Amino acid sequence: MERTRGMGIRARIARRWENFGLPLLFFVLLVIFSTLSPPFRSAYSLISNFRFSSFIGIGAIGMAFCIMNGDFDISVGSMLSLVAAMGSSFLPKIGGVSAVLFTILFSTFLGFVNGVFVTKLRIPAFITTLGMMFIYRSLAYIYTNNTPVYIENPFWLFLGNGSVLGVPFAIILMLICYVVAFLLLRRSPFGRYVIAVGTNRETAMLSGINVDRTKITVFALVGLFVGIASVVISANLGSANPGMLGQGYEFQVITAVVLGGTALGGGDGNLWGAFFAAMILTYLKNGLGLMQVDSYWQFVAVGLVLIFAVALNRLKFTLLGQRQA
Amino acid sequence: MIKFLKLYEKIGIFIFFVLGSIFLSIASPNFLRGDTILNIVAQGTYGAVVGFGMTLAITSGGFDLSVDAVMALTSVFISILIPLIGIPFAILISLIVASFVGMVNGLIITKLRVSPLITTLAMMTIIRGVALIVAGGKQIVIQQKLFMEVGTGKTLGVPNPIYIMIVLFAVFYFLLYHTAFGRHVSAVGSNESAAKISGLKVDLIKIFVFVIVSFTAGVAGTIRTSQTLIGIPTMSPGFVLVAITVTILGGTSLAGGRGNLWGTLFAGVFISMIYYGLNLIGVQIFYQMLSVGIVLLFALFIDGVRSRYLETMRAKGIKV
Amino acid sequence: MKKIIVLCIVLMLIPLFLFAGTGEKKEGITIGFSLWTMEFTFFQNLEKGVRDACEKFGYEYVMIDQNSDPQKMAQDLNSLVGQKVDGIVVTPVDPGAIGPAVQNARNAGIPVVCADIGKSGPVNALLISNNYEGGQLAMEFIDKQMKKKSSNTKKVGVGRVQPQWTYARQRGQGFMDKAKELGYTVASEIVVAVPSAEGGYDTMQQIMSAVPDVCGVFFASGREAVGAANAVKAAGKDIIVVGYNGDPEELHAIEDGILHATVAQQPWFIGYDSVRIMKEILEQGKEYEDAVVPVKVELLTPDNYKKWADEAEKRRGTPAY
Repeated sequence: MERTRGMGIRARIARRWENFGLPLLFFVLLVIFSTLSPPFRSAYSLISNFRFSSFIGIGAIGMAFCIMNGDFDISVGSMLSLVAAMGSSFLPKIGGVSAVLFTILFSTFLGFVNGVFVTKLRIPAFITTLGMMFIYRSLAYIYTNNTPVYIENPFWLFLGNGSVLGVPFAIILMLICYVVAFLLLRRSPFGRYVIAVGTNRETAMLSGINVDRTKITVFALVGLFVGIASVVISANLGSANPGMLGQGYEFQVITAVVLGGTALGGGDGNLWGAFFAAMILTYLKNGLGLMQVDSYWQFVAVGLVLIFAVALNRLKFTLLGQRQA
Repeated sequence: MIKFLKLYEKIGIFIFFVLGSIFLSIASPNFLRGDTILNIVAQGTYGAVVGFGMTLAITSGGFDLSVDAVMALTSVFISILIPLIGIPFAILISLIVASFVGMVNGLIITKLRVSPLITTLAMMTIIRGVALIVAGGKQIVIQQKLFMEVGTGKTLGVPNPIYIMIVLFAVFYFLLYHTAFGRHVSAVGSNESAAKISGLKVDLIKIFVFVIVSFTAGVAGTIRTSQTLIGIPTMSPGFVLVAITVTILGGTSLAGGRGNLWGTLFAGVFISMIYYGLNLIGVQIFYQMLSVGIVLLFALFIDGVRSRYLETMRAKGIKV
Repeated sequence: MKKIIVLCIVLMLIPLFLFAGTGEKKEGITIGFSLWTMEFTFFQNLEKGVRDACEKFGYEYVMIDQNSDPQKMAQDLNSLVGQKVDGIVVTPVDPGAIGPAVQNARNAGIPVVCADIGKSGPVNALLISNNYEGGQLAMEFIDKQMKKKSSNTKKVGVGRVQPQWTYARQRGQGFMDKAKELGYTVASEIVVAVPSAEGGYDTMQQIMSAVPDVCGVFFASGREAVGAANAVKAAGKDIIVVGYNGDPEELHAIEDGILHATVAQQPWFIGYDSVRIMKEILEQGKEYEDAVVPVKVELLTPDNYKKWADEAEKRRGTPAY
């Protein structure tokens, strides 16, 4: 925890918010929904939601790195759909373990391809991934001839639905991913390079950081985590529907990262913030419905919560004198 | 060579457009018919109109993801208001409502300092909800057949939407390239802090830009509603993607500061040509999506090579 | 940093300990209904059917809107299981994605009935319109109408629904197969890119360009069909347009004479009957396992749509258009 000595009271509060704000918001949300809706607070429901949080949560890790690095990847939803469909289609032939490995490696490769296009072809990340979004999605359709792939392989299904000592594996997986990501970001030179490039590309380059290599690795990381998320979600749903899987995923994941406190302009970010943001978004979706809030008002509510939460984040930025995005 | 490359910046997408036309003429006997071509252009106007607004937004350094929700809201308002106050006033009020949404977007972005991406993303959800609430979840049928003329009528044999697009293009062109406002927008987009220091009222400019974007969404919504005579709270989901693709393909730089209005116009028609034309030949929808993605990457790649070549020439001291 | 992690984990566990396990069981029977969306009349009617049935049978009723999100759908189903409802009715946005959730429900002893769309996993029953037959009815109508005319180009077009709606795709398939059977050529088959009325308008223009002498078209989604009908009218052509669903917009269009027929589904009935089947399972111990209950669709033409609308209104309590 950074020192707050010497800062004014508002900055102190802002600093605390950076670390506790989202967990607090999550807790408040949990309490509100639990009080107002009995089904929400059943252990079954709470754990199920935790399990589903891994969908946005794991994907948010890669996206967080990407945004910290100063880029964007909006192809993640289509990427998710393609790798899940392809990987699961191989299940009957090569078995669970190989198929899962293939899925993750393939999506890492796709991320790598994104990275190469961005760095070597010099097409801005947003545009590259916009184009790739169309391409990956259409490839998913074409490959599966637009039929959903049903998953029956026990290993694959376990990754999303199984439990170890009573704790759902998906939750364990998400926590492991976050710990690994944390180590990568805060305890390795790579993490520092990522942030440096995101803060100021020219300076980073002048400092001797290989910007291209960093960027490509970041995009590959996005792919890696998307691959893991794709296995988990397709296991949760029991199928990979090329048309439906991952629709709007990129927005959900970017929202989680921004809500978590990472600035869109690049630079230092908040990994654990993304974790809690993913939790908040997932529990919110479920909770509003369970409270029997009118469907149309749910749309309004989600949007308002988002603006409110991000506005609070911006306030923190201002109070701490950090960069705006 | 350099002259050509500089010219390319203006007409690059036009070349794609010509190539596409040639390809389609060979591939389908029905392409070169008058009504086919007019329809293709007409179907391109929806994307182009919103594209003009999006071009302005991106030039100012911002972004608006809420446009399709605004289209839906406009549609709902028009269908409710026409029976009450007649067609012209209904359109007017609905466009004002659309512009109002834009103002809200602008206020949130400038006063609450939430990024345009998140603001408009959140507003998209909110406005969709509002549209559904206002419409009571119903698709509202419009009885006044006269309203159909807006989107389906032809004047001198040319579909009306094309005229609307041309008029809006002229207005935007004038606004962007021949007024102080236009220059200010570009300034804000290229370097916001510099613009602020120069004394420009950045916040006001941004708010105005978002009002304009939502206005164009309202116009598009009006046209579309008149074609089906139904107020649709769930109108055109995902349309924002078309508007963004059209703007980027047209050559407007995401970095802000340089809006390519001609490009947006041709890109709008070009994208329409891809979808329409491929449907004409019977190509499946998956390959259409693939084509758009490949065209996008290819076009921007060429654009990148071109601008870097010019940069190198400039660095070498050659007059560019 | 470590302090934060510990604190957060503690924060998260508190509600679990304080509140967990209180998924109370209510008195009487509770039906949990998970619905694709409430944005369209079809689903609003379906929901009313479920609600009316629950009211009639004296069941508690809980409805959760999936907001067209398959992941939310799975989450919601799990929540209903956690709530220990007595029966689950689901209208899934992605029928292929309910498998694990349904398994969880069955493991907890909760029967699951799918109300339209489709199914996967160990559901007890699925009530679904015979989409394939509906598509065939549409083609037969066009053929019958064409027989009344002097010339017949025998070319038809079809505006299909998007690829991911695997069960609704049956409509277009039925239409095309029947067309071939009756000696027609499906000269243009286009997926409507924008799943809304204006999308139908665009696609119809494309069909008219691709096949200038098309004699009839079928749009597998009512809203799109109305848009298509408008496009035909605007172009001043004489083409038979058939829709699907029986939405209010379609009935208006039939009244105005621009839409020539539609294949009406019975969403209210599907919803109502799903609960009735649930009643049989819960109260009468009837066995249903992976049963598919087809629901009749009806061809509506200018001759019979008014009667159909009146009957529907009487049954449902809300106007048909």
